[in-house]
Amino acid sequence: MTIGGRSLRPDRRPGSNARSSGPPGRRSEAVAGYLFIAVPMALFLVLFIGSIGYAGWISLWDWNLRLGPEEFRGLDHYTRALRDPTFQRALSNALWYALLWIPLTMALGLSLAVIVNQPLRGRTFFRATFYFPAIASSAAITLLWILLVAPDGLFNQAREAMGLNPLFELFGWGPKQNWMGDQRTALLSVVVLNAWTTSGTFMLFYLASLQGIPNDVYEAAAIDGAGPWQSFWRITFPLLRPGHYFVATVALIGALQLFDQAYIGGGVNGDPNNSLMSPVLYLYNSAFQQSDFSKAAAVGVILFVIILSATLVQRHFLGRTPAS
Amino acid sequence: MTAPAAPVARERSAPVAGAGPGRRTRRVIVYALLIGYGLLMLVPFAWSVSTSFKTLPDVNDVSFIPDPVTLDAWRYAWETLDPPIPRLFLNSIILSVAVMVTNLILASIAGYAFARLRFPGREALFIVVLATLMIPDQLRLVPIYVLFNGLGLTRGDLQYVAVVLVLAVSATSVFLMRQAFLSMPVELEEAARIDGAGFFTTFRKVMLPLAGPALAAVAILQFQGTWNSFFWPLILMRDRENWPLPLGLVQFRLAGGFATNWPPLMAAVVMATIPIVVLYLFFQRYFVQGVAASGVKG
Amino acid sequence: MRRPIVVCTTLSLAALTLAPGAVSSQSPASGWDPSAITGTVTLSGWESSQAEGEALQATLDGFAAAYPNITVDYQPIPGNYVEAMSANFAARDVPDLFYVNADVAPEWIKEGYLLPLDDRIAASGFDTSHFFPGAADVFKGEDGQTYGFPKDFNTIGMAYNTSLVPTPPATLEELVTTAEGLVGAEGVQAPLCLNPGLDRGLAFLYAQGGSLLTEDGTASAIDTEASTAAVQWYLDLFKNGLGKTAAEMGAGWCGDALGQGLSAMTFEGGWLDPAMTSTYPDIAYAWAPVPTGSSGSPETISFTASYSIGADAANPDPAFVLLTYLTGVDGMTSWTEGGVALPSRDDVPQPAGKEVLAGLSSVARPGAGFMPGYATVQKAFGDEFINQIQSGTYDAAPVVAATKAAIDSALAPA
Repeated sequence: MTIGGRSLRPDRRPGSNARSSGPPGRRSEAVAGYLFIAVPMALFLVLFIGSIGYAGWISLWDWNLRLGPEEFRGLDHYTRALRDPTFQRALSNALWYALLWIPLTMALGLSLAVIVNQPLRGRTFFRATFYFPAIASSAAITLLWILLVAPDGLFNQAREAMGLNPLFELFGWGPKQNWMGDQRTALLSVVVLNAWTTSGTFMLFYLASLQGIPNDVYEAAAIDGAGPWQSFWRITFPLLRPGHYFVATVALIGALQLFDQAYIGGGVNGDPNNSLMSPVLYLYNSAFQQSDFSKAAAVGVILFVIILSATLVQRHFLGRTPAS
Repeated sequence: MTAPAAPVARERSAPVAGAGPGRRTRRVIVYALLIGYGLLMLVPFAWSVSTSFKTLPDVNDVSFIPDPVTLDAWRYAWETLDPPIPRLFLNSIILSVAVMVTNLILASIAGYAFARLRFPGREALFIVVLATLMIPDQLRLVPIYVLFNGLGLTRGDLQYVAVVLVLAVSATSVFLMRQAFLSMPVELEEAARIDGAGFFTTFRKVMLPLAGPALAAVAILQFQGTWNSFFWPLILMRDRENWPLPLGLVQFRLAGGFATNWPPLMAAVVMATIPIVVLYLFFQRYFVQGVAASGVKG
Repeated sequence: MRRPIVVCTTLSLAALTLAPGAVSSQSPASGWDPSAITGTVTLSGWESSQAEGEALQATLDGFAAAYPNITVDYQPIPGNYVEAMSANFAARDVPDLFYVNADVAPEWIKEGYLLPLDDRIAASGFDTSHFFPGAADVFKGEDGQTYGFPKDFNTIGMAYNTSLVPTPPATLEELVTTAEGLVGAEGVQAPLCLNPGLDRGLAFLYAQGGSLLTEDGTASAIDTEASTAAVQWYLDLFKNGLGKTAAEMGAGWCGDALGQGLSAMTFEGGWLDPAMTSTYPDIAYAWAPVPTGSSGSPETISFTASYSIGADAANPDPAFVLLTYLTGVDGMTSWTEGGVALPSRDDVPQPAGKEVLAGLSSVARPGAGFMPGYATVQKAFGDEFINQIQSGTYDAAPVVAATKAAIDSALAPA
């Protein structure tokens, strides 16, 4: 497992130190180690690991909001959730969202990273600018977005002024398209919104990976007469494989956790017509709109299983470093 | 706004710039794209600032300079948001500072132990810490809500405690701190030990002072993340008196009913975003480090 | 079957203080004397129009004069009411008295969030016989207990612009003819402003002999020929350009559409009146019953909400005093004089100008709260209905299928 292209395995400490401290020192070092990690580890175990078990437990009962467990139901809540057309819709929304948003944002992030990785004047400034939308809160930025893509908003007026409307007509989007209010375009609007806010973040991820590629590979390629276009596809892109894996994993987990933008844009029901109903919004809706904590917990477990298997599948296809 | 994707891709070039005849043209195109994309990043924010100085009927005028320029929306936002804006700021500051401090303390001690102290099960426990990155918040919603609700943490000022507890330590922070400690020379630590310093003294007096940049990255990452957080306050905070800014903003829009009163909403959005922009202008390096080294913000 | 929530009718108050986690008392102090009850009652409801706020304040002023020992702390809940109340129920920290909308009443009663009132009703001798049964029954549990009293009542009627529609249509055929005659009239975007869902659609379903449920309420009836035809008829109004939603016309709600002259006819309740008087005083309009359809009998639907006491209310006794005042003759008279709603009791005078809507009280069927899980049924219908309009297919079959699936799952044994 790697994060940001780095190995997770701790570096071995130089042997001299290990030898100089005898067995008693080693025991006190272990005690110190456990003391150091006690509080953080307790939090991790209770609030993360423990919550998996607790969610599983809650999902097996009829769980009354006020009184807790009432009747043991086994896996009933799982079948109830999976059979619910709204949950199926939420899953298909998540799939569409992931299919559109992940490649789009990865392509943007990679392109930006490759460009600002060159020795350009002002590249620090551009890097800072491209990351800028990521620093604002999802609430602020989603509210701003709703204003921008309103029927009379800046976006519709700008594309009209630029004469781009015929292009949009090809997709059946009129000059006063209500992007967030129309069920055909609401999810797409959120895809573009999040591509806009995260392209800078992905750029930073890719920059970290790019810096791990030694320059002499490019020099060798240049001697072979490869142009920038070929050397990108033949060298940079394949060598970035750990970076792709990392970015894709983060993106996939993020895509399946879409919530803030859906809730702020479409309310608790993911309006219009479930077009913004994401799996997490469905979970939230089950818990706080339908008072159905058991189903909400079951949905949480289902999503965890989906995320875990998707990450493992992705790791299988992207995670191995290419033989070089 | 997706338009630039394709043209950008075509102009990619390797870090070693070629010296061919097309070099100059390529430079011009690259700069044009950089500036164009940069504008796409900034124009919407300029629009929010511009809107905040407009009157409601002028909201859809395509002009970045409002006519007339009015402070009415700022005044209205200041007077109308519930809880009032100073209170929202106070709540956001309390949460963000508290989460920043707990992460600094807990992540540095844990990061140090995982990097420098040897104890049985260290690797396995560290894997457990990293595995928590795979546990989605939605799985934790119901159990944490039920747990905290049972402990009475979803009422009154204890709501602060609830939100801070959930965000108190993140695997990202631990990972960043561990990386920092791993990269430090062993000699200093050994010298301190030979002088008879205990593990904690060595950590606090010798190693921690060297971890300044990592601490700054953790501090910035956590402060900003908490300042912007929406999900957990929404779940855990029933009483609006304790709400942070993002909840106040969203509620203000809902309170408007059928038609959103955009200028005051944008004024509130600008107010809520200014502190983070200022932080970014001054500590940009640490934002970038924090994200690049681990990057869980997405 | 769920564990019976109410097992402690005999539990003493002393035992309750020792076991705060236990179910709240429903035993009032013996010898009920409202004037001797003191305390503060927290009252909550959703935020609503200014007219409603003023009417409620007037009513609370009346209460303060009648019961000086009880203070009312009114805390309206902004935003999503159900979300906020769910969190309150979970925290077992609820307002003493609060609104319960009919559509969530069956769930909230079943889940044990509301305090059963029978003991206090008996002890206080509060006369419940004057409530309209159609409104009061929504707030009775499967156990027969009463969990709240309807705070008011609203029937749906047809509001029409009298300068565009001189004679209101009496049948659905006439409605269509009248609407056809108005297509293209100056300023009119669509002759009818329509709600794309069961909120109003249910009235037209009933008018044409259709229904969501069978007579005994145990099975779905949305897929019968009459029901499907009614849904198709409603969709055709949109298809043929006779009707539009308020949103399609750029209006906030159909009241705005009527007031701005975008539509000539719409189907609303008494809340329309204060909005029209205050915002659109120049538009002349009148009320008529919902036109009759193939069923031949007058049909409409009604909406109601209750005042209920939380199972975890801290001050149930003063809350009950306030409840009986607000839903009693004096309180309800004062509240309905505000013009936003009709009384839910037959001994409260009908407010002026509400004759048509009040006349529908006897025929109106509940527009919500008549089945468990109605909110999801409503959503399933509305979502697919809007989908049919937006995609331009106007086909009733998918709407019926989606609604039937939602009904079946709502009726399936829990």
